[in-house]
Amino acid sequence: MNILHEFEYFKPKSKKEALELVKSKGSSAKVLAGGTDLIIQMKEKMIKTDAIIDISDLEELKGIKCEEGKGAEILACTKLVDIEFNADLKKKYPALTYAVSQLGSNQVRVMATMGGNCCHSSPAAETPAPLSALGAKVVLASLEGERELAIEDFIHGNRKNALKEGEILYKFILPEPVKKSACRYGHIGLRNAMEIDCANMAVNVELEEDKATIKNVKLVMGSVSIKPLVSEAVPKVLVGKKLTDELIATTGEAAQSEAKPISDVRASAEYRKDVIGALARRLVKEAYEAAKEA
Amino acid sequence: MKKQIIKLDINNQIYEVMVSPTDLLVDVIRKQIGLTGTKKGCGQGDCGACTVLIDGKAQLSCLMLAIASEGKKITTIEGIANQETGELHPLQQSFLDHGAVQCGFCSPGMILSSKALIDENPQPTEEEIKHALEGNLCRCTGYVLILEAVESYVEALSKGEV
Ligand SMILES: Cc1cc2nc3c(=O)[nH]c(=O)nc-3n(C[C@H](O)[C@H](O)[C@H](O)COP(=O)(O)OP(=O)(O)OC[C@H]3O[C@@H](n4cnc5c(N)ncnc54)[C@H](O)[C@@H]3O)c2cc1C
Ligand code: FES
Ligand code: FES
Repeated sequence: MNILHEFEYFKPKSKKEALELVKSKGSSAKVLAGGTDLIIQMKEKMIKTDAIIDISDLEELKGIKCEEGKGAEILACTKLVDIEFNADLKKKYPALTYAVSQLGSNQVRVMATMGGNCCHSSPAAETPAPLSALGAKVVLASLEGERELAIEDFIHGNRKNALKEGEILYKFILPEPVKKSACRYGHIGLRNAMEIDCANMAVNVELEEDKATIKNVKLVMGSVSIKPLVSEAVPKVLVGKKLTDELIATTGEAAQSEAKPISDVRASAEYRKDVIGALARRLVKEAYEAAKEA
Repeated sequence: MKKQIIKLDINNQIYEVMVSPTDLLVDVIRKQIGLTGTKKGCGQGDCGACTVLIDGKAQLSCLMLAIASEGKKITTIEGIANQETGELHPLQQSFLDHGAVQCGFCSPGMILSSKALIDENPQPTEEEIKHALEGNLCRCTGYVLILEAVESYVEALSKGEV
């Protein structure tokens, strides 16, 4: 099983050269970033590819810009450890750096990238839910130019996404968090580390000037549908209200009513629904309390 | 399959090896170069037995193409002892002193993951050590002793004893 199907290996020296290769090789090639999904899929013969285009060492695709008042930009091939331990990101987007710190193991995070996590487009992935709750966009690049998409429009689910032939994911753009807002992430798996989430969730709460009334809330669930699911019911429950224990309970039920989890080796659909309720209750409360201080 | 010669920098020595693009670093290190301290367990990124340091960071050689590691500094467990005297690295010695080695299959990975952490953060907390070792499984389950071995090395380091 550990024998890979034959392929040609290309290591472009610039983003432009990478884009030329991605275009000329088309669907016969796969881009390699950290390889932590790709190599496993190749080993398991889930995919066969005639060519690998290794973009893992392209400095033009790596880096984090996170300045006061200006949101952040994270290039696609930035290693997850560099996101996890970036002090500016940690301060401004703790939900994202926490989610990243929960992905795989240290070795996996040293190798893997956020671009790879989103392009793999697995329903259980760690970073799409917090990225979506934070209002992140992706920039896709090709020889023809660039286009921008909201993260939830990029991921179509079950390993499918909006990338067209000749395109790569170039970077993530995160808006500056609005005042009196806070985002929190949580996940439930079978053990502490290295598990694949049986459900995950990110919640972003924004308060009115009175620091009590909810102005906006975005709740995004992972692992309960083929793609990250943005709740429509939860904002209806919470917007314009002050958080009470009763509302917290209703929030849990609202999130549960929308989740469409499956049963698989990791958990039954029923258990996943319970977990969604528990995560929603906990995270809404945590984000609400944090937003008061923000 | 088209093979080509690549140069790998392993433990400060340059090895010229003939590889095909599909060859994984773990197999080249073990079978072609003959450094069998690096272990292959799951081959899936789960166990950490195949951990090596690449440019100082702990990475999984079972998920790394050999050809993609050309031009990087690779350190295996054989490379951390004193190359002249053969004396063990004090972190290795600490594992022995604390009985943190049972069958030994996980030890090279455990030691290299710990070393990568401490090289970057010489005073890690217990939580930080656990977080850094999450990806190294020990089937003999000597986790407590392993943690003690790492903590004792950290302490010796802070006192300037090693
Ligand atoms: C032991 C282990 C544990 C794991 N645990 C978790 C976990 O807890 N949570 C989780 O979410 N994931 C987990 N993963 C999965 C994986 O590590 C992540 O999804 C990772 O972020 C993938 O990034 P990568 O850079 O390695 O991607 P790669 O494997 O290099 O690429 C993945 C896919 O995306 C494509 N791609 C990558 N970058 C780009 C780009 N810039 N443009 C276009 N296409 C691109 C590739 O062609 C490929 O199809 C785990 C993996 C392992 C081996
Ligand atoms: S052999 Fe590489 S992680 Fe198990
Ligand atoms: S000592 Fe046997 S696996 Fe750890």
